[in-house]
Amino acid sequence: MATAMAASAAERAVLEEEFRWLLHAEVHAVLRQLQDILKEASLRFTLPGPSTEGPAKQENFILGSCGTDQVKGVLTLQGDALSQADVNLKMPRNNQLLHLAFREDKQWKLQQIQDARNHVSQAIYLLANRDESYQFKTGAEVLKVLFPCQRLALTSLMDAVMLQLTRARNRLTTPATLTLPEIAASGLTRMFAPTLPSDLLVNVYINLNKLCLTVYQLHALQPTSTKNFRPAGGAVLHSPGAMFEWGSQRLEVSHVHKVECVIPWLNDALVYFTVSLQLCQQLKDKIAVFSSYWSSRPF
Amino acid sequence: MRGALQAVALWGRKAPPHSITAIMITDDQQTIVTGSQEGQLCLWSLSPELKISAKELLFGHSASVTCLARARDFSKQPYVVSAAENGEMCMWNVSSGQCVEKTTLPYRHTAICYYHCSFRMTGEGWLLCCGEYQDVLVLDAGTLAVLHTFTSLQSPDWMKCMCIVHSVRIQEDSLLVVSVTGELKVWDLSSSINSIQEKQDVYEKESKFLDSFNCQTIRFCPYTERLLLVVFSKCWKIYDYCDFSLLWTEVSRDGQFFAGGEVLAAHRILVWTEDGHSYIYQLLNRWAQMGATLRTFSGLSKCACPADGGVLKGTVYPHLLCSTSVEENKSLHFVMGYMNERKEPFYKVLFSGEVSGRITLWHIPDVPISKFDGSPREIPITTTWTLQDNFDKHQMVSQSITDHFSGSRDEVGMTATITSSEYIPNLDKLICGCEDGTIFITKALNAAKAGLLEGDSLLKDSPCHTLLRGHHQSVTSLLYPHSLASKLDQSWMVSGDRGSYVILWDIFTEEILHTFFLEAGPVTRLLMSPETLKRSDGQILCCVCGDHSVTLLHLEGRRCLLRARKHLFPVRMIRWHPVENFLIVGCTDDSVYIWEIETGTLERHETGERARIILNCGDDTQLIRSEPTLSVASETHKHKSVEQKTSNSHQPGPVPCPSVQLESSCKVADASSVPRPFNVLPVKTKWSHIGFHVLLFDLENLVELLLPTPLSDVDPSGSFYGGDILRRAKSTVEKKTLTIRRNKASCSSLQTEAQAKPSEDTLVLGDSTSKFSEENNGIKRQKKMKSSKKAHPKPPRKVDASLTIDMAKLFLSCILPWGVDKDLDSLCTRHLSILKLQGPVSLGLASNEDLFSLMLPGWDACSTEMKEYSGVNLCSRKVLDLSNKYTATLLHQTGIPRGLESHCDSVQQSDAIVYLLSRLFLVNKLVNMPLDLACEIDRPFKMETVHSKARFPGSDILNISSFYGHLKNGRNECHTPEADLSLLKLISCWRDQSVQVTEAIQAVLLAEVQQHMKSLRNTPVSSQPDPVAEHSICERMQISAKMERAEELELQCVGKSSPLKTSVSPVKHGNDLNSANFQDTEDILDRCVLEESESAGIWWHRGTVWNCEIMTIHSSVPKDKLQSRKSHQA
Repeated sequence: MATAMAASAAERAVLEEEFRWLLHAEVHAVLRQLQDILKEASLRFTLPGPSTEGPAKQENFILGSCGTDQVKGVLTLQGDALSQADVNLKMPRNNQLLHLAFREDKQWKLQQIQDARNHVSQAIYLLANRDESYQFKTGAEVLKVLFPCQRLALTSLMDAVMLQLTRARNRLTTPATLTLPEIAASGLTRMFAPTLPSDLLVNVYINLNKLCLTVYQLHALQPTSTKNFRPAGGAVLHSPGAMFEWGSQRLEVSHVHKVECVIPWLNDALVYFTVSLQLCQQLKDKIAVFSSYWSSRPF
Repeated sequence: MRGALQAVALWGRKAPPHSITAIMITDDQQTIVTGSQEGQLCLWSLSPELKISAKELLFGHSASVTCLARARDFSKQPYVVSAAENGEMCMWNVSSGQCVEKTTLPYRHTAICYYHCSFRMTGEGWLLCCGEYQDVLVLDAGTLAVLHTFTSLQSPDWMKCMCIVHSVRIQEDSLLVVSVTGELKVWDLSSSINSIQEKQDVYEKESKFLDSFNCQTIRFCPYTERLLLVVFSKCWKIYDYCDFSLLWTEVSRDGQFFAGGEVLAAHRILVWTEDGHSYIYQLLNRWAQMGATLRTFSGLSKCACPADGGVLKGTVYPHLLCSTSVEENKSLHFVMGYMNERKEPFYKVLFSGEVSGRITLWHIPDVPISKFDGSPREIPITTTWTLQDNFDKHQMVSQSITDHFSGSRDEVGMTATITSSEYIPNLDKLICGCEDGTIFITKALNAAKAGLLEGDSLLKDSPCHTLLRGHHQSVTSLLYPHSLASKLDQSWMVSGDRGSYVILWDIFTEEILHTFFLEAGPVTRLLMSPETLKRSDGQILCCVCGDHSVTLLHLEGRRCLLRARKHLFPVRMIRWHPVENFLIVGCTDDSVYIWEIETGTLERHETGERARIILNCGDDTQLIRSEPTLSVASETHKHKSVEQKTSNSHQPGPVPCPSVQLESSCKVADASSVPRPFNVLPVKTKWSHIGFHVLLFDLENLVELLLPTPLSDVDPSGSFYGGDILRRAKSTVEKKTLTIRRNKASCSSLQTEAQAKPSEDTLVLGDSTSKFSEENNGIKRQKKMKSSKKAHPKPPRKVDASLTIDMAKLFLSCILPWGVDKDLDSLCTRHLSILKLQGPVSLGLASNEDLFSLMLPGWDACSTEMKEYSGVNLCSRKVLDLSNKYTATLLHQTGIPRGLESHCDSVQQSDAIVYLLSRLFLVNKLVNMPLDLACEIDRPFKMETVHSKARFPGSDILNISSFYGHLKNGRNECHTPEADLSLLKLISCWRDQSVQVTEAIQAVLLAEVQQHMKSLRNTPVSSQPDPVAEHSICERMQISAKMERAEELELQCVGKSSPLKTSVSPVKHGNDLNSANFQDTEDILDRCVLEESESAGIWWHRGTVWNCEIMTIHSSVPKDKLQSRKSHQA
């Protein structure tokens, strides 16, 4: 047992040296790299507000699907809000062309982008705040007290940053699952200038790097209908045949049109998130190697 | 939910980590509440001299606490609300430490404000919340349900901070909120109460960009009703509330980040930083000074009245008066707060909490002044305290369960730090892995007794533990496979260490069966594959390692099946695909890896939405039926997986992922799903290897085991049978806890009621009907059980009688307030053979599935009034008063001295213990009763008919009161029910006076023991109680067996619906067959088990039939039917 203890004392010295290196060389580099990546990511989400010069720039996205051309649309994205929309819908029944457009005075906030942007800026804030704290000091006392302290602080910082990044990514990768009545009640339906026909529902969301627009065509179910009425649950994309109750009416989805368009900067942002998450995890793993040697907390 | 479990914490020498993330002081300035990264809340008592002492640790959240806030008018109800990272919200009564309300919402809050407008609002008021979502949520402070939102019309965004402005001048309460982008918004509060209640949209009245990001705090100055302090991370600003014009900006110096601020007085503010510094500024008004000189000769100052907003502009500038600071340690993060004075002897207190768990207080003088030369004065630290200080100061009382090992370990020259532990309930064995690689196996009850009680020197010296040496590094995980898979060998135990070794042990012969070397970093978790996994060669051991890899080992074959090592992120979840032999690994980055077990190849790797579907598909029963989940740790799946959780669910220490928290919560749930009178929970915490143990006593189960009759004849559905079926079911289908749960619910009505109570708020009647259907289910189930009985000759009772008595004694030792009366102590030790405690223990209460509170060492030194009793295990001074009251009622009402007619000493002793326990159980039940049920109490008290029970909402009470009556009958005493009722009323009274459960239990125990001993003092007693203890039970059982005929009588009692008035003799459903065996049951459990099971067969048969009878009576509504049945029976 005594030899084991002696061996571990020598090992401990080596480990301290290694941890010193980690703090000196690695941590700062990684933190700086993380900050750079996340700054780059947050630049993609153009920040609104008076701090940036003038209103955020507008981007037009032409939405389409590879299959049919029944729905065509142009959505204009201004920061995290949809400022204009032009949707042409070919009604399958009579081949009539229906034109939908946003009201001029209103913008539709894409909550997913806003949330992702806020999570990223929180992560940046966390990192910016702590960077200078990892100044290395030497001395015997420092080894005992400061190392565990810094390890703890670093790990919890990494945890906090990773939590924000995971949430940011999840907001983009997982659109909200809404029920049909929720879609019907959402403010988006009130956004259109000639009001939306009662037999149409529209939903806009982000899925991964794509801006998606779904148009549901509805028809009312007759009260005498023999069909078994079963309201559909929440879903990102409802399929034809989904039923729901709206007001006093029972409605059924007859056609679903989904068109989408890749937003290039969202793609970039997602890549940045993934890369920085991996960086965080790698740093955490490196710190964790030392965790078992200073198992007890310094306090 | 079962009734509350009594807990005793064995803390050890090291305090559990408590990284403070939120802090507040209650309005009465007596309690500091802190929330931690680990998810616990800590209550600290603050003395009038500003001394801090930790009091209680509250477990309820499974993620880091984000904010704390007052949730009621504090003078009326001392409630505090806490919110966690994962959306959990808990409402706590900080004076009793109990969780009043708990909910999980899909929102992460960063700030909560309580708002109540007494004359316009009904109900408990609102909790205004903001956080990582748009706008401001309005929650009901009573139910924590979302009422509505305050919506913003312009640029809705996340809100960062807020404050409520009560302005006397404006006569309107307003809500001031700053968003993450720095936009200030104002909502009318008092005038929009109606609109919110009617769910109409309420938009902001005003909004203004403040030109800075990362707003930390916004505060309104109530003294001037004019100034607004807004603290950003890089600067703080003063605004004019009238038109939001900027008056002053102070930028932070040398890289400091501001974290918050408060208005001290008119024109005096306090601002603090993230690294624990704070600054007090005087806001000087140039204009006012100038005005003073001008006023003398002109009326100009009148024009300068604050009505004109522009006047103040540029006239305010700050002057630094004082500052505070802490020891320089920049890497740590501080959370601070300020509490203003109300009235004497209240102080102005600035307080801060650190990641390290340290609390620091500064007493801010009423008039802070700078030094004579005008430079800022440094305010000294008044108090500082940590959890560990409490542990150091009261080290005597913080025994660890393994302290008594240290004696034997001194030869090695170091004390062992326990790094992992596992409790095997079937064998009552506690396995502990240590830092130096040794593993102890000990009898848990003995270890607990040796640690807690004094004078038990025999136990301490006896070599009751075995030592396994095989690991060279600290043992990081332990698993007892038999408790998860009954097919596996009982003697097997698996342990993993930091050096990646996994050893298979034989715990009986203490030898190594096989050593696996994984080469994959520390072994953080060991899991067993479920029984449903179709494999010809038995089950698989799954090892989760520090390098995020997963290794599958085949124990019987002693070989490695699969090494899955492609995971980039820590493993969060493991699932098994039973049909296709897949191992599904979920990682913390939400990706999923699917491995084919046979070939060892990576079948698929998915991320995002598809990964989520794959992981959740088990919940959709259509896709894969009954796919078991064995979650390692996850914030979302935690609750779902509780049912399947093994008892070893503690956290892998070195692999902390954001969701990883202290998992003790799960374990309490686990313990409550399988009723055992005594349980040891090893609790391990994040970040550290330090763990502690919690002893859980299930009072109800103890009483059930010791006194098998009472519930069955008065309580119609016979919870004893229920309990027994349950125990048997557990042994046959050990893993399917889900069905057991259902079983439990259906079989024992007492338990059902206990479960139903909290949820019964509104639908009491509906619930009672559903209960009956459940009971009918229970009958069917029991019949099924009966038929399958012969096929599985498993023990119906795993805990033998002497062990149970021992548990009961340990429990009474822990609860009894020692040292109040010296004579009483010695009498207790002599006659009841309850041993004295070494010092006050840390009591706790597990009130709910995953909510429990534990006292911290030194809790008894918190209040000054307790000084004279310190060192005594007394909850509070109130206990003595309560106890006296109880004694008075007891004597006054009954007038009969209690004593036992029996001459046999040992019988008397165990009888007395059983009697005491049943009393305590009753008190526990009564005090725990929810308030709305309690309102119903009066009625059942008056109508003592059992028929009414079936339809009566408050039937619990009657059940209990009749149960209680029976306890009396069981002791052959003929008290009138009125006497009981007056006691019941007294206890119910206590509940209304918000007496805590532990207090009530202690008081009653003290009174009862005093009564009991009074009678004993008169009669001389022979003093050799201990060895005869178990005989007493046998004798009792023999007596009872002869009284079988009396059972029919009891049935009629139920029919006649007057069980309280008939004096039925005590009946045991035990058989004389098994009573004979009890004499040599001490160590050889297995033999006893076999024989017992045989006799139980007959007994079961009978039990079931009666049960059916009783249940139909119970559930039958019309009276005449009941009558006819009775006559039929006769």
